[in-house]
Amino acid sequence: MAKHPLPTLSIIAAASLVLVSACSGDAAPEGDGAPKAGEPEVIDARQANFKKLGDSFKAIRTQLEGDSPDMAVIESAALDLNIAALATKDQFPEGTSVADGWDTEALATIWEKPEEFAKAHQMIADRSAEMVKLAQAGDPAAVAAYVKDLGGSCKNCHDNFRLDDG
Amino acid sequence: MASAQPASPFGADPAIRVWDLPVRLTHWSFALLVPALWWSAENSQWALHKRFGVTLLGLLIFRVVWGFIGTRTARFSSFVKSPGAVLAYLKGKGAAFIGHSPLAGLSVVALLGAMAIQVGAGLFSGDPYDGATGPLNPLVKVSTADALTNWHEWFYWVVLGLVALHLTAIVYYLAAKQDDLVSPMVSGRKIVKADVQENEPAPWGRFAFAAALSAGLALWVAFGVPPFT
Repeated sequence: MAKHPLPTLSIIAAASLVLVSACSGDAAPEGDGAPKAGEPEVIDARQANFKKLGDSFKAIRTQLEGDSPDMAVIESAALDLNIAALATKDQFPEGTSVADGWDTEALATIWEKPEEFAKAHQMIADRSAEMVKLAQAGDPAAVAAYVKDLGGSCKNCHDNFRLDDG
Repeated sequence: MASAQPASPFGADPAIRVWDLPVRLTHWSFALLVPALWWSAENSQWALHKRFGVTLLGLLIFRVVWGFIGTRTARFSSFVKSPGAVLAYLKGKGAAFIGHSPLAGLSVVALLGAMAIQVGAGLFSGDPYDGATGPLNPLVKVSTADALTNWHEWFYWVVLGLVALHLTAIVYYLAAKQDDLVSPMVSGRKIVKADVQENEPAPWGRFAFAAALSAGLALWVAFGVPPFT
């Protein structure tokens, strides 16, 4: 090895450089990079919508962590969450799964078990509507008690229909 | 014939010990784990990503401990130098050395530091209602976890930038200074022209201590630092 340093070095350096350039090519997280040619636009739209949904839920939980939760912020976030939850209904046309080769975590199971997917959608539609009611009623304790139920409707769908093995 | 130097047909090994085995193993593990971590995140392999991340944490802890109790060239005290020493090295006026140059010492600290920051942020990242979470996520507020998650996403580019700089430096040393830095990191030995003392081996007990400490800490973190979560 010591007598012929060049081959070792050039192989490792070349491999590393290929790696670095490969990384810089598609390391952008989903939704942020240039979409693959022919990628259905709905994929970016639904990822943006889920981001809104997640951010609204975080806004609610952030308020509840503080000493005096701002019920106006919670109510507005609950409304945003409900709107985003309802919007997901039309964002899963066939041919937009990870199995179709797109940069998405949507499993093909969504279209293999359409009734179950519809049920999962109904669950978050109902529970996010209930959260809006609780927020409007103005009792932080009731909102806090319902966080797990609402979060359960996220997790329920993720567990079954999202590429997510964490 | 009675000379003190035995005339072996192969001659004495002109290469002297520079890097100990733990230094080389941690180095090449970093080189494998950084791309593996990137790949697993890109492909939503979160269970693997977490396992790789905790492994990297263990190796980082090991390398830092080894930086205090390892062999001479492994120790921070041997390669973390004053700005004056770095400047002298850059002007070609530095003292003869084996191991990291004063400039490389900065690179080691930057690479280890960047990986530590990246792993540290990852431990708290994620959202329990939205996919995978790091093992320490329950310890922080929702907004803190959110900020650290964002940090964990963009800071990867800092790690990648430092790796690119590291590789560029290796190519530069070979091309401009005919100094092969890679082979010694594989074999542990290097042919050195200057009259310097070769690296001394470390007792196995010290290695066992550093390995046990770092594995124990990394596992404790992997399980969410019980009883705190």
